[in-house]
Amino acid sequence: MKYKETTRSGGALPWLFQRISGVYLAIVLFVHVVNLHILIDGEIGYAAIAERVATPLWKTINISFLIVALFHGLYGLWIVLEDYIHIGWLRVLIYGVIATIALVFAIFGTLTMITFQYGG
Amino acid sequence: MAMITFKINRYNPDDEKRGHFVQEYQIDVPKGYTLLDCLNDIKWKLDGTLTYRRSCRSGICGSCAMTINGVNNLACETQVLGLNCSTVTVEPLRGYPVVKDLAVSLDPIVRGLLAVKPYLMTKTPPPTDQERLQSPEEREKLDGLYECILCGSCTSSCPSFWADKEYIGPHALLKAYRFVADSRDECPGEHLEPIDDKHGLWRCHTIFNCVEACPKDLNPTKAIAELKKELIRGKLG
Repeated sequence: MKYKETTRSGGALPWLFQRISGVYLAIVLFVHVVNLHILIDGEIGYAAIAERVATPLWKTINISFLIVALFHGLYGLWIVLEDYIHIGWLRVLIYGVIATIALVFAIFGTLTMITFQYGG
Repeated sequence: MAMITFKINRYNPDDEKRGHFVQEYQIDVPKGYTLLDCLNDIKWKLDGTLTYRRSCRSGICGSCAMTINGVNNLACETQVLGLNCSTVTVEPLRGYPVVKDLAVSLDPIVRGLLAVKPYLMTKTPPPTDQERLQSPEEREKLDGLYECILCGSCTSSCPSFWADKEYIGPHALLKAYRFVADSRDECPGEHLEPIDDKHGLWRCHTIFNCVEACPKDLNPTKAIAELKKELIRGKLG
């Protein structure tokens, strides 16, 4: 018997993925900082950044960062909304608006990354 | 000996018009008096209508848990002069429905407790010549788990419970882990399955209020973390 039989079961896998995504974000952020501020030769400017971002490896890293960060943030936000907004339809409405905006940003961000080119 | 003012939250269900209100009492408090002694003094000498729960006066039964100067504790274990203040605020445990004055309904925590099947469950028949034995190491794993006196202080202090009254609460989760961790229990899934729910284990946001509130210095948050590990291990095979 569930604690409350009418509720949807689970929460284990989202909880686990929230932790894994958190670790992934921390690692990518660390790599980003090391790459941009420590390993880089010369001045940090558009050319240096654009050259790096245009490579397939960094495109993949940036797109994955974008998607994982959005999942991490949106799931966290859903948990916060569950705690503070007790009217079901209002909670879904607020989350729906935020998630839609996030989805639009995700599409824009992904398209920008895929189509980005620099130099030859 | 010091003159102490007690500001006590009062509520009489037969006087809904008045609702919740604060009443002040002043008494001389000798050294060594616990809050329970003071409440007894007030009830026996000043105001017989004051209602609160009490039983063992030794920190064993958990009956007299209440919110004292904003912190959950047992009245019988709180030295009043040790609080170092001339005014002591006494409220019923937060988050539970108030029955009368300082007595709250503990139905929410009893419901959670029963859900986790708080008893040893076995599949094999018991040995015929002895009890089910544990090694000292296996027994040691239950330290910090079995001592819970069900006072309700932890769940009452939990913001996740304030936000979600269907949340099973830290006390029931601690109790669930007490049986999951017991080497004699052969059905840990029976204790884990009911809490694998969004109003169960996954509702805990690791706020640690329950750890601060527990008058027996137990650590429900740690038990909850262990339960999460157990459930995730089970799901990943």
